[in-house]
Amino acid sequence: MKKVIMEIQGMHCASCASNVEKSLSKTQGVKNARVNMIAKKGYADIEDSVSEEDLRKAVRRAGYNIAKINYE
Amino acid sequence: MEMKHDMQHEHNVHVKNDEQDHSSMEDEEIKDWKMKLIGSLIFAIPILIFMVLDRIFGITLFNEEIVILSLLILGFPIVFIFGFSTIKSGFRGLFSFYFNMDSLIALGTIIAYLTGIFALFGKVADYSGISAMIMAIFIIGKYIEAKARGRATQEIKKLLELGAKNARILRGKEELEIQIEEIKIGDIMIVKPGEKIPTDGIVVRGESSVDESMITGESMPVEKKAKNNVIGATINQDGILYVKAIKIGKDTFLSHIIKLVEEAQGTKVPIQKLADKITSVFVPAILVLAVLSFIGWLIISGDLSRSIGVAVAVLVIACPCSLGLAVPIALTVGSGIGAKSGILIRRGEAIQTMKEVKIIVFDKTGTITKGKPEVTDIYSKVKENYLLEVASSLENLSEHPIARAIVKKANESGIKKFKEVKKFSILRGRGIEGSIGKNKIIIGNSGLMHLNKISLKGFEQNINKLESEGKTLMIAAENGKVLGLMAVADALKEDSINAISELNKQGYRTVMLTGDNKRTAEAIAKEVGIKEVIANVLPEDKAKKVEELQKRAMVAFVGDGINDAPALKQSNVGIAIGTGTDIAIEAGDLVLANGSLTSVLHSINLSKKTFRKIKQNLFWAFAYNVIAIPVAVLGLLHPIIAEAAMALSSITVVTNANLLRKAKI
Repeated sequence: MKKVIMEIQGMHCASCASNVEKSLSKTQGVKNARVNMIAKKGYADIEDSVSEEDLRKAVRRAGYNIAKINYE
Repeated sequence: MEMKHDMQHEHNVHVKNDEQDHSSMEDEEIKDWKMKLIGSLIFAIPILIFMVLDRIFGITLFNEEIVILSLLILGFPIVFIFGFSTIKSGFRGLFSFYFNMDSLIALGTIIAYLTGIFALFGKVADYSGISAMIMAIFIIGKYIEAKARGRATQEIKKLLELGAKNARILRGKEELEIQIEEIKIGDIMIVKPGEKIPTDGIVVRGESSVDESMITGESMPVEKKAKNNVIGATINQDGILYVKAIKIGKDTFLSHIIKLVEEAQGTKVPIQKLADKITSVFVPAILVLAVLSFIGWLIISGDLSRSIGVAVAVLVIACPCSLGLAVPIALTVGSGIGAKSGILIRRGEAIQTMKEVKIIVFDKTGTITKGKPEVTDIYSKVKENYLLEVASSLENLSEHPIARAIVKKANESGIKKFKEVKKFSILRGRGIEGSIGKNKIIIGNSGLMHLNKISLKGFEQNINKLESEGKTLMIAAENGKVLGLMAVADALKEDSINAISELNKQGYRTVMLTGDNKRTAEAIAKEVGIKEVIANVLPEDKAKKVEELQKRAMVAFVGDGINDAPALKQSNVGIAIGTGTDIAIEAGDLVLANGSLTSVLHSINLSKKTFRKIKQNLFWAFAYNVIAIPVAVLGLLHPIIAEAAMALSSITVVTNANLLRKAKI
């Protein structure tokens, strides 16, 4: 389990944030996904099996892009 | 070594980029909406004139086909060029089943626009002008909202800009001006009066006062001399300081605060659960409702145009934004205001819980008092210096504030060298023990003496007197015989009395929890105005005592984050206090960068005010949707009015949150 912080581009309304949260939560190995629409950041706890591409895909599926991923 | 430096260097650059991204992403968004706004207005104004003349006053300048055609042409750039990103994102949402706000606007405007094309050939009312107006108003609303949102994050932006850009460092004997990213741990920085301290460090030479208000909210400058810690981004006032850098880049106190505030702003407040749930099903529900309204109206009235108008109004009036933004925007403003004065809200949940809190428990040492005790009285059977020498030799091995006071006293009495101590151990909450040569030494409270069956005969009177004065007693015994006793007292912080009397006035039950004896504790409590005292509590039992109090009501615990972590965690709201860099950020729900009790009072008030804003916002958002949607379904709202109302609702929520700044905390 590690913590990931994503900067997400293109979100401009509350349902956007809710969509990203939903899409991330559906990804296997991603837990506790939460998205702050105002700071345009997403936070999640992920298992080691989750790749950066998995996260990008999940965010893209909801219609947005990850600008940057930081691990902690 | 070389590589480590390189990595650190890279790290710094990285952090800087992060910060730039944050504000530029937001500015970019505002600029983007502004361009779309100007573009839309150019076309929207003639449309408006057309529509007012033609549709409202019935002044016909041209024949119907020309009017419709002009509206279609003028409306096209608004809907399909300036509204392109909205339409694209909306349809993408529709097709991927990740519906969003744009889906509603896209569908509403496209349907309305299409009526214009059909109107050229058939008997459908032309809504194309309306379509363009809806998109134009949507864009105006988004622009205003983005700007207001920018204001909501102004405090964190200020924090991001707070850091120093340059540093002057000493390399050999040479002074060098370098970029902040180039500082390495261990560099000696020269900070002249009026300059920012570049990064966290420790003073190696010089004396000055430092303004730390931008980080801790504490307005009084703090005196700094050799061995004192200083915080990066604070301002040196009157002397030159030579500071050794100890933390750089993302490890600095300022970086920690920024990260903490940003992260906290993304946490959820329990009250928003319902709003979040509604937001997540809101758009599909509205889509269904719009279809049902259309069918219903078509069946009842048989008027296709009217039915389309109602459906469009339903699509555009519904606003998931006001609901979804209500809580986070208020939390953002509240935590931003807090950060400015050294109050860090770590979890959104805490501000909701704070409202329910009835009991506030204070740790004594370092919370109500300064936590820097001094030796005030010594009663010794032997030579005073012998007592001090023995005591300080042991106490020198302990980090406890009382131990430090005794060592300091010994230093002042001319004792510079300590004896070698063997078998040293700390008896938590009771004292310490160890051996000097063949002598077994025990230093601690009277409880510890009883435990070791050491007689206090001859000292009872002194003990009673000192304890009744609220002083802490350290009794030193050598081989089972008392050498003497030292009284240590800890002064109240200047603002403790005021802050606690204000909390009492607000109806909180204030309680003091301490490891000290009852008499000491009660003397302090009386002075500061706390009625309930729980004394003689071992550090490990503090959490248990909090738990007992929780049986009566919700409890907030105020203490330093280092010794009191379990109690902070156990309490419903943990308020961790510290001074400067000495705070354990992880420990509390609310973290105060400055240790004054006034800050505790402010943090409680801020929590309550922020939560009130959250409730107001949720109320408005719910009320708006609950009233507006049925009105639109009933066909009582013109689509343009519906769109304007929608834009206003989310602007209201953001603006209301920004009003929190006006509240007196």
